[in-house]
Amino acid sequence: MNNTIDISHYAAIADSIRAEAARILEQGVVTAVVAYTTGRRAGSVQPVIITAAAEAERLTFTAASVNNLAVYLTKAKKDIPRSGRIGIVVKGCDLKALVGLMGESQLQRDQLYLIGIPCAGVLASTVRPAEALIAATLAPKCRECDAHLPEGCDYVPAVSLPSAPTLEPSYAAEIARLEALTPAERWAYWKEQFAKCIKCYACRQVCPFCFCEQCLCDRNKPQMVDTTPRPAGNTAWHIVRAMHLAGRCAGCAECERVCPMDIPLNLLNRKMAKELKELFDYEAGFAVHEKGPLNSFMEKDDQSFIK
Amino acid sequence: MHPEKNNSSAFEPKIIAFVCTWCTYAGADLAGTSRMQYPSNVRVLKFPCTGRIDPVFILKAFQQGADGVLVSGCHPGDCHYIAGNFHARRRFAAFRKLLEFVGVDLQRLQFSWVSAAEGGKWVDVVTDLTETVRALGPMTEFKELALEEQWSGALTTPELKEAYLQI
Amino acid sequence: MSRIGVFVCHCGENISRTVDVERVAAHAATLPGVACATEYKYMCSDPGQTLLKKAISEQRLTHVVVAACSPRMHERTFRKAVEGAGLNPYLCEMANIREHCSWVHEDREEATAKACDIVGMMVERTKKNRVLPAITVPVTKRSLVIGGGIAGIQAALDIADAGHEVVLVEREPSIGGHMAQLSETFPTLDCSQCIMTPKMVDVANHPKITLYTYSEIELVEGYIGNFQVTVRKRARSVNERTCTGCGVCMTKCPQKKIPNKFDQNIGMRTAIYVPFPQAVPNTPVIDRENCTKFKTGKCGVCQKVCGPGAVDFEQQDTLIVEAVGAIVVATGFDLYSISEKPKGSPIKGYGEFGHGKIPDVIDGMTFERLASASGPTGGKIVRPSDGREPKQIVFIQCIGSRAREKGISYCSKVCCMYTAKHTMLYHHKVHDGQAYVFFMDARTPGKSYDEFWRRSIEEEEAVYIRGMVSRLYQKGDKIVVMGSDIAVGVQVEIEADMVVLATAVQPQQGADLLAQKLGISYDKYNFYSEAHAKLRPVECATAGIFLAGACQGPKDIPETVSQASAAAAKVMTLFSKDRLEREPIVARVREAGCVGCFACKKVCAYGAVEEKEIRDRQGNLLRVVASVNPGVCAGCGTCQATCPSKCVELDGYTDEQIVAMIEAL
Ligand SMILES: Cc1cc2nc3c(=O)[nH]c(=O)nc-3n(C[C@H](O)[C@H](O)[C@H](O)COP(=O)(O)OP(=O)(O)OC[C@H]3O[C@@H](n4cnc5c(N)ncnc54)[C@H](O)[C@@H]3O)c2cc1C
Ligand code: SF4
Ligand code: SF4
Ligand code: SF4
Ligand code: SF4
Repeated sequence: MNNTIDISHYAAIADSIRAEAARILEQGVVTAVVAYTTGRRAGSVQPVIITAAAEAERLTFTAASVNNLAVYLTKAKKDIPRSGRIGIVVKGCDLKALVGLMGESQLQRDQLYLIGIPCAGVLASTVRPAEALIAATLAPKCRECDAHLPEGCDYVPAVSLPSAPTLEPSYAAEIARLEALTPAERWAYWKEQFAKCIKCYACRQVCPFCFCEQCLCDRNKPQMVDTTPRPAGNTAWHIVRAMHLAGRCAGCAECERVCPMDIPLNLLNRKMAKELKELFDYEAGFAVHEKGPLNSFMEKDDQSFIK
Repeated sequence: MHPEKNNSSAFEPKIIAFVCTWCTYAGADLAGTSRMQYPSNVRVLKFPCTGRIDPVFILKAFQQGADGVLVSGCHPGDCHYIAGNFHARRRFAAFRKLLEFVGVDLQRLQFSWVSAAEGGKWVDVVTDLTETVRALGPMTEFKELALEEQWSGALTTPELKEAYLQI
Repeated sequence: MSRIGVFVCHCGENISRTVDVERVAAHAATLPGVACATEYKYMCSDPGQTLLKKAISEQRLTHVVVAACSPRMHERTFRKAVEGAGLNPYLCEMANIREHCSWVHEDREEATAKACDIVGMMVERTKKNRVLPAITVPVTKRSLVIGGGIAGIQAALDIADAGHEVVLVEREPSIGGHMAQLSETFPTLDCSQCIMTPKMVDVANHPKITLYTYSEIELVEGYIGNFQVTVRKRARSVNERTCTGCGVCMTKCPQKKIPNKFDQNIGMRTAIYVPFPQAVPNTPVIDRENCTKFKTGKCGVCQKVCGPGAVDFEQQDTLIVEAVGAIVVATGFDLYSISEKPKGSPIKGYGEFGHGKIPDVIDGMTFERLASASGPTGGKIVRPSDGREPKQIVFIQCIGSRAREKGISYCSKVCCMYTAKHTMLYHHKVHDGQAYVFFMDARTPGKSYDEFWRRSIEEEEAVYIRGMVSRLYQKGDKIVVMGSDIAVGVQVEIEADMVVLATAVQPQQGADLLAQKLGISYDKYNFYSEAHAKLRPVECATAGIFLAGACQGPKDIPETVSQASAAAAKVMTLFSKDRLEREPIVARVREAGCVGCFACKKVCAYGAVEEKEIRDRQGNLLRVVASVNPGVCAGCGTCQATCPSKCVELDGYTDEQIVAMIEAL
């Protein structure tokens, strides 16, 4: 199953991004552009924020452009000048996060200039950035991507999206596998996973939705969640985190990518997304919702679990 | 009534109930004024509304050694605060799925609507949960976690193994 | 360090019979932070309370736990006692060891152990209790009444008579509502106009009442005691101050054939008109849609003939802002129209029974106008089609009502009675006529109501047929009514001259829009919801807003007036103090941590959460955060459970207090 994924159009995309970023900075449409630039490691790219048209030539887009840049726009990470409109490069999955942030009053659409990427996929976090993009090196989230072409952007490079091979969704398969286990077996699985956590909070730092000024899990009056990186506190952290992201996370999988301990964080997020879809027919990220699934209700909501 | 009580080694489940003050707490009061009898395992925490009950409290209760947790409030449409119970219903519908996914046996977590008039229902709900949990035995999962200091040390990824060998 | 006093009550023997109270007190004494623990036979008694107060001062207690009955029983008692001893009442909690313990467990060992746990839990909770100062909000002692039917009129008069200013807003050019349209009223058959118009005049003359007719509510801001209401006063085209009400304009207006809504469109009016001669105010209004001047620019006859020069074609809508402390909603009802379906109505089943197609099929309100001495026919009951007196008349009840399949499952409550009334009025006026009534049940549970209904059968010779009508059609100048008599089990067919449909009572069109402006809730039919069906039937869940009359559900006049007076009494209670005291169990936002996601605002059913802008000294906007209005917050705590970082916290039920309880277990 070494089928290659056609990303020949990425070079053209990179050209277009450079031209468009230069144009909008030049013409004063935006005050800054959040995008990707070449990184130090071979083949790697990293996020960059540019404020002058001359810098636009540094921008790029490759299969290693994994980061969800939306995180640079949330309030808690005050890296971006607050004034003026800001340009940002978004893949379909990144756009979903932006849409969610708009629904939560963190961003305004008219403050953004969206450069959408017709994305065929990016590399998994477990492979080196210089590797070729094939089914085996593709990020798991890209296997089940339903937003290759971001919609409603201000600018999309005029390239056609090559047809992509259909791949088995891996999260869904893993969720199904776990669901088929007994509670005790699932507990054992997650206990092992959570036990690895070192509470570096990289997952929280990178999450566009963890924009809280003070995370509940850092509070000590009262201490809701044990802060030490021990199994009990870790489990609580992961449960709280999954619950707080339920109905908001649209699956950019950045938490999973940055986790140094390889904890399958997005698996929990996808499970919650699946449940909310089944329970309340809600999917995050496709439209700006006035209210999320867990801050709205319907009288006829399921209550078969209540005596 | 409970012959096994005298046997000090028999397992007595610890049940924590989170209830709203207007319906279920009042229902439990009614069970009292009607002198109904039920197992004494339950400890009741009063909230203004089920809408106030945070999923973290349930987690915390299990971590503190609860063997079973009950969340109970007003029937839909009866909420003293218009819609608190509707919000709670959604929140807990999602939360129980999460707990189930990480391996908590949902038989230990019961939700119910008990109105101020349903003293009998309160007795039934509490008795059922106590007996179910008694049959399941103690909830050891969270207690064991609290005793464990570190991760098991299993090296599951090639990178970790590589890194470990280089130390 | 807290110094907690624990007081364990025997409750006579109610607690001590199964709970070893001495052991509970002894256990409490060992808990950290407990300064003293005692037991007493009756804590709620005078000596018990004295004991408590004495201990507070002698032991310099900082917090109190009373282990006794349910807080629902005596929390107030003990909090008051604690307050009497100089402590903030919210530093006192009750541990329920009676309803939740001694009464429900027989085993003394078990019950005592549980009581110890409950006390321990409450001690830990109480340690985290904070001083909560009472919340008071100022009260503007003026009231707004929306809707000038009998409900609104009664409420306005009652409140104004108590000495408070009232602003009464009515959508139509005159107050009076449906009652002004009625001929005679059940169960006494007194003339509606005769009892109604004096009240309307009282409203007009009352020094405390400001009346805005031809006006609507534009915007409602604020909260209990402190509402700001914007009223849109529509352009009347006649200056109310200068018009003397002589009516000469109306006699000269060339547009004379406009159906008058007040007469259910069977009577005609001019383009400059008052809906009926007794209208209050007696100032005409120009219906701009039908006025020749507005349509073609020519005419202006009324302006020329008006002595005081009151006609003003240039008049504009005006917006008036009124500050009020309470609002009574009395917008009444509308009748289910089977000729046209109102836009957006979910109700099915329009169009049958020929109403709107067969001219002599009319609804009950049209019959009222025909029977009214001041109506378009001068009180003669005649057919709209040819003006002949109907000799056979058929009344059909429950049109729309109680028809689940059509979308209305409720009973309209007044139709049985007014149909009985109609048969009487008919019989009084058409001596040789015969009235038939198709009915499902006769619902007459009111004072003198059943007697009234029986009279229509026994003395006024109406024929009641139990059953529904299946079909109805025009045949020549007759209307054939086909139905079944289920009591006898036969089909009946009546050739009628006129058919009167008792159509369902529905909320006013647009009732939902008004509710949204007010922030009150309504049911699926758009009837406004009371806070509690039994115990708070005149209050809305939104504090400071009260309901009167048919806007809350179908009602007859006596019931409407009772509810209106009740609503007025509630308003007066609210106005009896300068400041309103509220329980300080309300949510507060920790602004430093709030990121302005407004999840809290989304879940608050009371609209208590507002957006607050934080600016620096230069006035630059820094952040927008949530802010809870303590005058509006009801204290449910849904916001706190929803806020991910718990930046909004419910006083009295803080996370600290709850976690302390969980950790005590
Ligand atoms: C055919 C018929 C016969 C009846 N006969 C009898 C009888 O004999 N005896 C009896 O006891 N009862 C009788 N009733 C019932 C009686 O009519 C009602 O009980 C009564 O009219 C209810 O009064 P109300 O003030 O609540 O509503 P309404 O009379 O409907 O008054 C509501 C007022 O509010 C105004 N309004 C509505 N919306 C707004 C708004 N958004 N802004 C401002 N103003 C607004 C309306 O214009 C109206 O003036 C009869 C009803 C019908 C249909
Ligand atoms: S990134 Fe991984 S190790 Fe770090 S806190 Fe998150 S889950 Fe734990
Ligand atoms: S885990 Fe929850 S509280 Fe913590 S930062 Fe994320 S959303 Fe906020
Ligand atoms: S939910 Fe919390 S963080 Fe969000 S606006 Fe409300 S108080 Fe602020
Ligand atoms: S406690 Fe309830 S009523 Fe008060 S602000 Fe929060 S959600 Fe609204």
